[in-house]
Amino acid sequence: MIISRRGFTLGAASAFGLASQGAFKPAFAQSEPIKIGWLGALTGPSSAPAIGFDRGLRYAVDAVNASGGVKGRKIDLITRDTQGDPTKAVNATQEMISSIKVHAIWGPTNSGEALATTPIMARAKMPNIHPCVVNSLIDPVKYPNAFRMAPSNSQWDDAVRNYCLKILKVKKVAVIGDTTGYGTTAAGDSVAAFKKDGADVVYSAQIDATQPDMTPDMLRMKNAGAEAIVSWSTSTGMAARLFNARAALNWDVPFVGHPSLGSGEVGKLIEKPANWDKVYTVNYRSCSFDAQGKLPERTQAFLDKASGKIDLKDTLLWWVLSGVDVIELLSKAVAESGGTASEGIIKYLNGLSKYPGLFGDYTWSPTQHNGYPTDEVVMGAANSSKDGALNLAPGYG
Amino acid sequence: MALGGTLASILATGLAMGAIYALIGVTYNIMFSTSRVMSFTAGQLGMLGGVLGSFFMLRLGLPLIPGFVLTLVACAVIGIVTELLAVRPVLKSLDQHLYVLSTLALALMIQQVTAIEWSTEPQAFPRLFGLGSGVLDEKFWLPIVACALVIAGLEWMQRATLVGRAFLAVAEDNFAARALGLPERNLRVLSYALAGAIGGLAGFAGGELMLAFFANGALLNFYGFVPVALGGLGNNRGSIVGGLALGIFQQAANFLVGGIFASVAVFVVFIVVLLAWPQGLFGLSTGRRV
Repeated sequence: MIISRRGFTLGAASAFGLASQGAFKPAFAQSEPIKIGWLGALTGPSSAPAIGFDRGLRYAVDAVNASGGVKGRKIDLITRDTQGDPTKAVNATQEMISSIKVHAIWGPTNSGEALATTPIMARAKMPNIHPCVVNSLIDPVKYPNAFRMAPSNSQWDDAVRNYCLKILKVKKVAVIGDTTGYGTTAAGDSVAAFKKDGADVVYSAQIDATQPDMTPDMLRMKNAGAEAIVSWSTSTGMAARLFNARAALNWDVPFVGHPSLGSGEVGKLIEKPANWDKVYTVNYRSCSFDAQGKLPERTQAFLDKASGKIDLKDTLLWWVLSGVDVIELLSKAVAESGGTASEGIIKYLNGLSKYPGLFGDYTWSPTQHNGYPTDEVVMGAANSSKDGALNLAPGYG
Repeated sequence: MALGGTLASILATGLAMGAIYALIGVTYNIMFSTSRVMSFTAGQLGMLGGVLGSFFMLRLGLPLIPGFVLTLVACAVIGIVTELLAVRPVLKSLDQHLYVLSTLALALMIQQVTAIEWSTEPQAFPRLFGLGSGVLDEKFWLPIVACALVIAGLEWMQRATLVGRAFLAVAEDNFAARALGLPERNLRVLSYALAGAIGGLAGFAGGELMLAFFANGALLNFYGFVPVALGGLGNNRGSIVGGLALGIFQQAANFLVGGIFASVAVFVVFIVVLLAWPQGLFGLSTGRRV
């Protein structure tokens, strides 16, 4: 057959046209890596959670890739350090959506950044899973692409309130927050919920976390007759000063509240180890030692497998477990939906019921994107941290 | 806690914090006296006193005396760097108040570097002597002792030493001082080093109370400025009285109305005092002879 110049030109143009229309795309798409974007505040203030998540993510990505990937496709984790700055988080989100064209995004990991990035991801229909607690970040109508795989602040609040009222059986509580936006909002919500449940909120206040002496606030709470103090603050300095002031007053009132009450930083600031007794912080069943000192079977099996590969000394176990879970979840979403199309991934996530993750059993539906079960949120003894896990607070069966 | 205990607590914490504010006020004054510049690095020097003290003693494990000396030397060096980088380049155009930007920029840099290299969480400061408990704990009286020593030292220096008198001459009229042959530039550098050491001492003596925390810098900048304004710019005795009064009033307000309202109360009184005495409680309006 003689190939004329016109025939060659037409043929080449047709081939180019087909290629550009995506006729050959499936074959290419089936072999390209699964690109997962990871937006974390890895440096700067509030970087501790992202560092913990990062350890879990990298462990899981290495494990999936070492086992041959997801139907032959490797996972490519694309990380951007947002430094806790919403502007940097927005820029990184735009880059991931427009330039890198990732298939799903994990993060950001703090609510201030997520408030800025969530609408952008929603416009791009980007599958997004995050662990941020602010309630308004989850709205299946406004943000059908966004899924939360950690408790919301309401769920923390429920766990704290239930512990005070049903297990400690106190009737008079003091509720305090720091002067940040989070502290003010969380304390306000907590006061409203306690009152709704019939508790007597004998004292509520915002405390300046930098004030060196917490005796005045502690005295007011004591004089008001508080039987438990509920604290909503991320400040470890404020927590330690409150505990020291409680000891100076010879008052054994229990503290219940935000996870920062159990931060290792608090342990370095208290004047005596005993000052940290009777402090109960938000924790999770999957990361709690029972009365026999044992972790749940699933968690222990993971720790045995990952022993020596993940440093747990200076982090919280739930951060690491969430990082592992999100990679395994997205891997399954790609495998089950048959590709990396955002519609397929979102449809898969919307159909999950009691998915057995390491951190918890996740359930999402088209109308409910808060995936973490409230009954797995428990209180832990703040001063009992070992490898990022805590002893269950007294009173749980 | 009985009324007596409450009063003792107000006095102990109030005087201790007041002494720290007063020392930061003195830091502002010393830098101002030789340069006519209000340097916003004053509070950061206080913060560094706590952070470096903790760094040398807890992280590096140095004993008290080397840790203390190294902290003061490091803060004195930061004082000199302030003069070189943020003050000297803008002295020719003092009327444009560029020093506000230059010293504020340097203060922010110090704060950010500390946040990145040290920690964004408060860190422990070591027990220095292990003396006292309750309201007589050393964390309450150490800042007061430091404040008294600084005042005594400054008085002695200004009355009995040539350098002290030269400082006074430059503070009074730097053109005349230069005409008399005094090394005005070197004296200014020396005054910034001295201010740095005093700021560092404030942070070191108050470290057990305020902890080693990068955010203390902004707080001390703010509350350290109040005694300067109350006591009159350049008046060290006024700063001491203003600082101690501020500390006691702030702590009393903490007991009476609570943390965030206490800050409001402090600044309401501050504004009222300045409206009534614009030169400060101890400031003098000096007339210039012609």
